[in-house]
Amino acid sequence: MTTALKVNGKAVSLEADTDKPLLWVLREDLALTGTKYGCGIGACGACTVHVNGVAQRSCVLPLAGAADAAITTIEGLSADGTHALQQAWQALDVPQCGYCQSGMLMAAAALLASNASPTDADIDAAITNLCRCGTYVRIRAGIHRAAATLRGEVV
Amino acid sequence: MDGTQGVTRRGVLKTLLAGSGVVMFGIGLPTREAAASAGSEVTSWVLIHPDNRVVIRIPQTELGQGVTTALAQVLAEELDLAWGEFDTEYYDAQTNLQRNNVYVHTSTLASWAVDKLFEPMRVAGAQVKHMLCATAAQDWGVDIASLSIAQREVRHAASTRAAGFGALAARAAELPIPAADALTLKEATHWQLIGKSMPRVDTRAKTTGAAIFGIDVALPGMKYAAVRQSPTFGGRLKGFDASGVLKRAGVREVVAIRGGPSGYNVPPTLWDVIDWQMDDAVAVVADSWWQAQQALNELPIEWEPGPQATADSAGIDQRLGAALDTAGQLTREEGDIERAFAAAERRVEAEYRYPFMEHAPLEPMNCTALVTAGGVEAWAPTQYADEALRIAAYAAGVALKDAKFHLTLSGGGFGRRLSNDFVSQAVQVAKALPGTPIKLISSREECMRRGYYAPVARARLRAAIGPDGLPTAWHSKVAYGRAPVQPYGMSRFPWAVPNVRCEYATVDSPPPFGWMRGVAHAQSLWMNTAFLGEIAAATGKTSLAMQRLLLDEAHVTTDRPDHDDAVARIRRHRDLLERVVARAGAETLAAPGHGRGFAVTDMSYVPGYYASCVAMAVDVAIGEDGDIRVLAVHAVADVGLAVNPDIVTAQIQGGIGFGLSNALNAQITLKDGQVEQANFNDYPLLTLAEMPTVDVELLPASGRPTGIGEDAVPVVMAALVDAVRAAGAAGIRSLPLRSRKSA
Repeated sequence: MTTALKVNGKAVSLEADTDKPLLWVLREDLALTGTKYGCGIGACGACTVHVNGVAQRSCVLPLAGAADAAITTIEGLSADGTHALQQAWQALDVPQCGYCQSGMLMAAAALLASNASPTDADIDAAITNLCRCGTYVRIRAGIHRAAATLRGEVV
Repeated sequence: MDGTQGVTRRGVLKTLLAGSGVVMFGIGLPTREAAASAGSEVTSWVLIHPDNRVVIRIPQTELGQGVTTALAQVLAEELDLAWGEFDTEYYDAQTNLQRNNVYVHTSTLASWAVDKLFEPMRVAGAQVKHMLCATAAQDWGVDIASLSIAQREVRHAASTRAAGFGALAARAAELPIPAADALTLKEATHWQLIGKSMPRVDTRAKTTGAAIFGIDVALPGMKYAAVRQSPTFGGRLKGFDASGVLKRAGVREVVAIRGGPSGYNVPPTLWDVIDWQMDDAVAVVADSWWQAQQALNELPIEWEPGPQATADSAGIDQRLGAALDTAGQLTREEGDIERAFAAAERRVEAEYRYPFMEHAPLEPMNCTALVTAGGVEAWAPTQYADEALRIAAYAAGVALKDAKFHLTLSGGGFGRRLSNDFVSQAVQVAKALPGTPIKLISSREECMRRGYYAPVARARLRAAIGPDGLPTAWHSKVAYGRAPVQPYGMSRFPWAVPNVRCEYATVDSPPPFGWMRGVAHAQSLWMNTAFLGEIAAATGKTSLAMQRLLLDEAHVTTDRPDHDDAVARIRRHRDLLERVVARAGAETLAAPGHGRGFAVTDMSYVPGYYASCVAMAVDVAIGEDGDIRVLAVHAVADVGLAVNPDIVTAQIQGGIGFGLSNALNAQITLKDGQVEQANFNDYPLLTLAEMPTVDVELLPASGRPTGIGEDAVPVVMAALVDAVRAAGAAGIRSLPLRSRKSA
């Protein structure tokens, strides 16, 4: 059956099994491979995207559950890699292997959208994504830096 | 030296292109052929395009450790390139094979990338510089010494003449490559890039979703494969009933995969021998990976479980214990421990256990492969592309010359991708569907249950204590599961003890062996350090006080054959230990339930092997529920020359996260022949909330660069265990700490 979505601002109409997780729809049907598969059980967060502005693990979200929703993936976080978080990530060289970072950035973007000045405890609670390279120190610093930028502070 | 000296590089390139047979264009990936056809390969290391674009070839896998940036930095330095004046691409394994290992060191392991490639890549940069300048010197009739390079131009200051790299490259490529000893490399005082924290070349793509990992490779008409290996190690495939799943939407084929070689340096002659490297498997091919995996979950498969059908962790532990009860291979002996034990005031004994651990890189194992009448072409994130090429050719049943392998970005590795099981599997599936590109992805569950785990280990230590409270004898015996000989972990401790014996044994255990980041140092340093802490406690000292007493060169016995090496190591370890004590600010933490622990080691494998050295202080708090919170880590590192200090710092920060994750949580167990863990719900990784603050000091640059990819892992694990002891939880005898058994 046909499912309608809005992905990164564009209307999309898909013929796909509505049980198919959104992750695989994005990667296979829409060629948006920035969103990653890491566990398939919603544990690692590499597949995090925004569904109507809320960070969600797309590996456990069936396409049916995303019908008519506005989806934002890492490719749509900014037009040219200049979201405050992306700039902070680049300034601090946050990524190592980089595989988890799309999900990290999407989770962090959702946090900053609702909390302009997250504390370390807020970050601890909001960022439950896993990074095996251990870039957590810089992820935390990157979120603080981006938050400061968005508040208009000079970093 | 370039193995193609005497033959023109462009000639070789043309031959390669003609012979490969499976060149593909227009697939949306930067292929070597497409790149090479537009530029001049001045040497195997550097490609220059007519528009002056310079491409530096990287003969190591980017796993996140920053090799692409650091190695490019080294070559760019000698070629007088400014940052941003070059691109990078991976070396080509087939080229390396045909040119007699021109890339010198291509397996990505043992923290060797910069260690082994620093000089070759400096020389490579200087060679290209010389060849470009020699071309311009000929054109202008001037002395090559009067030329310089800036902004990708060769310039002659006296006449203000300048020629772009692009205009010179094709003719430069025809010149003989100068020998390394005919070149003068830059003095360190003139370095513009080496030693500076240049920004990583791959960060931007990794923040926009543009970075293409192996799992992201896309080919026209590609189908997806999900794979399941025998659930028991050494099991054989008896059969499957595909009739049901072939009716499912999107499912195309079910393919049997034969077990065989897949691992590090396995000679490709063992195909019909079950050698534990990779077992029989079944793959389902479908239009979508999700469809394939769903179908695989439903597929009735019959396995012959094999000789390890009843293996379990308790039985393996018993076998390790039995090995400890018999004499092992002697790996270190100094003095006379028996006499020291006979004369001892008292003795201390303890046993330590280390479980199987899975590397768990976040990108699951995967490979994309295409088999045609012309040969095989494969794409994968692997830590050993040369081996992947051999495995691909072997699995496809084609001559090595008819195989092409494309190395991709890798979503972590940590040693797991030294085995190329996924390449063999994907190529076997592709062979069953000739002409159809197959992307094979292992589910997380498959990765977890069929890993190449760091081997299980059990060690028995005993010490004789003299009247002054210092150990007079140290006797360790370690038994590993299936593993090559790796005694250094237990035996290379730097401490001055007059009588030492170290013994080593391995027992058969079902899973195949894997090296994991930190290797046997990560398995053993915490054991040795914890035992030293037990000796200290038995003699009324702090662990730190005992470390200091044994890091005293005055105690090194003079008749040791490696006396000078031992003294040098003691001085260096002691220096770093004192530095980290000073940096942390105090020897102990006063708050109840809090503890500060210390550890220091180099990653030396044998006497005379010089490696980086790292010391750490780890602060923990143990809650009323007994859970361990890691609060802060201070680290001081001597890596010789840090080519890129910020990347070195990142490796230490990340290594701390990796080591803490393993020490706190990691454990693979077997029951009824099968791995009990399946995913991150029962094999938890460290979370952001659990990550301590990290403070890193690098000693000023000196000498040559030594590796840093692994060093933080053993040190943080050992300092953590020491800190937990300092916080009051005595008698740590096994990892992971969160399922610890106290003595």
